[in-house]
Amino acid sequence: MKITVFYVGSSLPAPLTRAERDLNEKHKLGLELALHNCGSSLSEKAWSEAARDVPSSEIVFIIHVTDQDNASRLVDAIASHPSITVIAINCMPELMRRTRMGKLDFSALMKSRGDDESTPAGVMRRLGTWMAETMRARKGSSSSKKKAPGGVAKYSKLIQRLPAILKLVPRAGKLGDIKNYILLYSYFLQPTPNNIRSMILFAIKHYVPGQDRLRVRPPETKPSEGIYHPDADDLFESLPLYRKWYEGRGRKLRPTNTVGLLLMRPQIISNSRRHYDRLIRAIEDEGLSVIPALSTFMDNRDACRSYFVSADKPLVSQVVSLTGFSFVGGPASNDSDAAVEFLKEMNAPLRSMVSLDTQTIESWEAGRLGLNPVQSAMQVAIPEIDGATEPFVYGGMTSAASEPIPLEDRCTRIARRLSRWNRLQTESRESLRIALVIFCFPPGKGNIGTAADLDVFPSLIEILGQLQRDGYRVDVPSSADALREMVLEGFDDGANSVAHIAYRMNVDEYRSLCPYVENIEAEWGPAPGRINSNGREILIQGIELGNVFIAVQPTFGYEGDPMRLLNAESGAPHHGFMGLYTYLEKGWKADAVIHVGTHGSLEFMPGKQVGLSSGCWPDRLIGELPNIYIYSVNNPSEGTIARRRSYAELISYLTPPVENAGLYRGLAELKEMLNAYRQSVNEHDRIQLFDAIQEQAAVLNL
Amino acid sequence: MTDTERNRDRDRRVIELYERVLEIEQRLIPTGLHVFGRVSNSNEIESLLKMVASFERSDIVIEPASGQTAPVKALTDLIAAGLGLPEYAALLKESESSEERLRDRERVESILSEAVAIFVLDRSSQRAVDCLAATAFVPAHESVKVFEVLARIRFELERSDELRSLSRALRGEYIEPGPGADIIQNPNVLPTGRNTHAVNPYTVPSSTAVRKAGPIVASLLERHTAETGRYPETMAMVLWGIDNIKTQGEAVAQALNLMGVRPRRDSLNRATDVDVIPLAELGRPRIDVVMTVSGIFRDLFGATMALLDKAVRTAAALDEPDDANFIRKHVQARMSEDRLSIDDAAARVFSNAAGNYGTNVNFMVLDSQWEDAGELGDLFVTRKCFAYGRGSDAREARALLDRALAQVELTYQNIDSTEVGITDVDHYFEYLGGVSKAVEKRSGSRPRVYLSDSTSPGSKVRTLEETIRLETRTKTLNPKWYEGMLSHGFSGVAEIEHHVTNTFGWSATADAVDKWVYDEVARTFVLDEEMLERLRGMNAHSTRSMIGRLLEASGRGLWAADESMLNKLREAFASLEDQLEGVTV
Repeated sequence: MKITVFYVGSSLPAPLTRAERDLNEKHKLGLELALHNCGSSLSEKAWSEAARDVPSSEIVFIIHVTDQDNASRLVDAIASHPSITVIAINCMPELMRRTRMGKLDFSALMKSRGDDESTPAGVMRRLGTWMAETMRARKGSSSSKKKAPGGVAKYSKLIQRLPAILKLVPRAGKLGDIKNYILLYSYFLQPTPNNIRSMILFAIKHYVPGQDRLRVRPPETKPSEGIYHPDADDLFESLPLYRKWYEGRGRKLRPTNTVGLLLMRPQIISNSRRHYDRLIRAIEDEGLSVIPALSTFMDNRDACRSYFVSADKPLVSQVVSLTGFSFVGGPASNDSDAAVEFLKEMNAPLRSMVSLDTQTIESWEAGRLGLNPVQSAMQVAIPEIDGATEPFVYGGMTSAASEPIPLEDRCTRIARRLSRWNRLQTESRESLRIALVIFCFPPGKGNIGTAADLDVFPSLIEILGQLQRDGYRVDVPSSADALREMVLEGFDDGANSVAHIAYRMNVDEYRSLCPYVENIEAEWGPAPGRINSNGREILIQGIELGNVFIAVQPTFGYEGDPMRLLNAESGAPHHGFMGLYTYLEKGWKADAVIHVGTHGSLEFMPGKQVGLSSGCWPDRLIGELPNIYIYSVNNPSEGTIARRRSYAELISYLTPPVENAGLYRGLAELKEMLNAYRQSVNEHDRIQLFDAIQEQAAVLNL
Repeated sequence: MTDTERNRDRDRRVIELYERVLEIEQRLIPTGLHVFGRVSNSNEIESLLKMVASFERSDIVIEPASGQTAPVKALTDLIAAGLGLPEYAALLKESESSEERLRDRERVESILSEAVAIFVLDRSSQRAVDCLAATAFVPAHESVKVFEVLARIRFELERSDELRSLSRALRGEYIEPGPGADIIQNPNVLPTGRNTHAVNPYTVPSSTAVRKAGPIVASLLERHTAETGRYPETMAMVLWGIDNIKTQGEAVAQALNLMGVRPRRDSLNRATDVDVIPLAELGRPRIDVVMTVSGIFRDLFGATMALLDKAVRTAAALDEPDDANFIRKHVQARMSEDRLSIDDAAARVFSNAAGNYGTNVNFMVLDSQWEDAGELGDLFVTRKCFAYGRGSDAREARALLDRALAQVELTYQNIDSTEVGITDVDHYFEYLGGVSKAVEKRSGSRPRVYLSDSTSPGSKVRTLEETIRLETRTKTLNPKWYEGMLSHGFSGVAEIEHHVTNTFGWSATADAVDKWVYDEVARTFVLDEEMLERLRGMNAHSTRSMIGRLLEASGRGLWAADESMLNKLREAFASLEDQLEGVTV
């Protein structure tokens, strides 16, 4: 007996694998469960392997499939085997219509009109169409301020009422198949290992001939909302209960030190949560407290209101979303206006992290693409529109295991960065140390402070003044010119630097602080190299103004190096580049870095495109430092690279005033002559004017 | 030739010249630089508001409280309609050849100017609305909506959240996200001080982008056929992230349109496949488009990369005659003659190796590291020869890109921004220049190079040479521009130097710069002694680099400068060397 499951996500494989084992042990069914993750468009090879399982199956489950390519192929594959039972759950409409169970014709049902949820058919219709309706409701209204779209709200209400509705549906005839579908759906909504096993068993009992003697337990239910903690036996249904337990373990839940996490409920109740557990523990290891709440899926404002806010005061200082979806709207839509309005009010930054659910950790590790297009769109681009930052990968599926595993080093990196941000929130400003990084491109003293549309030195004076007013300890130079002189004209140690040298880092210190020296040496030779170096020491370009350091970012270092320029693929940054960021984080001990103006080179260093690993150079360079990037508002594309590859939070700046170019000198004269010609009615004048015009045009090369 | 004919010729020449003068006069240019946290210097806000009012706004939120959205028509169209004239974009086009239409156009523009001037002066819209109703019969309920948009822009420009946002970010608070674009394109970019975001790639190209692509592609092909007498079989197109984010994929829509397909949205409203536009409806052959894509586009539009690849394959699979489907023609030829697989024969989407960015052509030019210009094109190919497509992303395919570029007749890029022109940054010449140089060596002749300009209501297609002239006249040589820059001292001189260097980049990669451009640059900034003194006083380093670049242009034979001019440049350069030797090191 064979059942094939085409699914998306990481919460189903583990309970399904266990179900196969348990059912074979207990019922001796000889069941083979074939599982295929369809999260991203399968390669031809992967698809042809997957398709081979269809003809020999009694039942095909299709769950959460929304990739268009995979959907089209599945539609074709099941069409050619009409005798197989097909159960589609939460897929695209064309797949939902292919549900085939006994006498149930889902396609006809979906076509019929009416929104009446008091009938079983109406309920089915709603379950089958909510996703598409949600999308339609959002179509073309990206800037509306409306609440969560109707499709979502109705769906959420409906699933709460499912058990009550089920009681009213008779078991006989076509309605019996509808009842079965709704029951299967009810198991699916509570994907505990027991329920997933029951879901499979239920399908076998009703749709594999000769199996109707099987007995299936009714669905067990778990709370739909609540707080999870890896050290607790059960979910907490309220914040006070959680607080009592949590603080009983000797940790305080203070608003200033608490991170609120949004977790996917299916991961928790299906027991596919090792990556969650690791991340939670890593955050606690940093001395921070956590409130890991179950995501209210379609609208996380609900979970936040229940667990992260009390009497209009936030109880958490950062929100970390592990849902992989938009904050409001779930998988099929995003109401970013609603999300932004809520997050502004709560005023806690949103971090959105990625689990590799539609690709494997192996595929992610192997290449420089990083996230596949589906994950990059759903789990990075859309959360960004809600204002989410720090798009880290923290775990994911492997080809071997059936449940997601954590990426240890990424969890640690995330936790340490959260802790750094927390320090910015809580330390007295007087003791915080801020590094400002400016650019110089192309390398040369005339270009110190390069930035598109921005006059950098006066901007720095404005920024330093603000820092001083805010209470940071900073010496503000008397003027932009004075500041520039300080940066530019100090002792500069010869041709290997364009600016003042604030610090000379010797090779021993560099080696002791930077774990990547050998990787760089493989490419650039022994430290300290020739760029930003005097042969013995790495030269850190910049000036110190109290607790503020203004640094000049080195350039790629291969501008003047034809051999490196000609490479199709670039390698590591040079020692001088690495040396600066090593110094800022570990030598000078900055608490945060602000990059000033569009744009530098760090975020364009080689590595994965998005979803970086510890082997990627931008990740190694920025390290644990919170990164704020002052960026031109008219450059969303390169700015987004900075957001994704250097974990930058952008602060947009206005572009310069624009005016009509107007006319000057000869051009202004020409226009007058042309107008004189146009207005003149005297033929003789016109001829003379025309000659003059021709002459003037020639002078102007027109 | 009769007198009447001679008359008509003269009139035509005058209108043509007038058109070009207006093009210069009305072009928007940035005047100066921004200082972070400072309020915009808004005494010249009129030209900005006039331009904003010249575009229809389909998605402006009129009443933030109620959340109602309503399209806001362009004032220029409202005025034209009130006067019983065609749409403004049509007036712009027709005024190129008709004195009568030129007068109509000037009438519309003068009414617009008057109304906006009154609005700016009064700080309220009442009199402006009345003026429009009286002079052009514009219904008050329509013009009021436009002035609400303008009022909001002015309100936002008179304050700044930038420093406060920075403070808040540094304290770990939530920073609101916001779109990124030019103000004219999307006034919703205000207020600044927000965390700029990109777009959901599955929404690209939007239906608006698809609608706008048709006329631009038509103008491009019209221009090419007018000059060569036939359609190009193969063209190369540069695709960037920046314009496709700001315009929701106009350039992507243009590429699809050239191939004769349009995006198909799946049941979840994502653009994941294409529909074929039948030849009868298309009315022209399907053009073979080689897409050289920036690393940034590749990263931000992964789903779109797949869509473009699908478009090529779909068009290649159509059973159509060779002279109506150049994609199929070329793919078939590669498969039969060179025994290529379909994957290789249909590879048209090229970018950097995964995790790499840029062509390095700019670095090579800026640092004068090249000897023969052909090297620049070769470098472009080295960096961009990674094919992207179904199941085989980022495979190195140099031979395929070489072969594809060898057939290219025209190269093209879409320009969307008034704020970032082709001599403002080095990226335009590294891409469009780089690919053009690569084509020149591989095909044996320099391709025609075009840019579209969708920054004004009547989208235009210009040759690269025309665009450089326009940039030079409106910016580099325009006192309004350079004095604006020089009011920023040090950074302003660096900006002028960058413009000269980026102009030089177009000589190096595309040999597209007229002699007079360099002559005038030299006269304006070096031979004018007073100016030279100002420049070297503010930023001697950049002044030296600028003169050095002019000498390099001459030395490489890209500028046939007069000897006396060269001598003066050499003198100035030497004197700066002395000055800098003394001051630094």
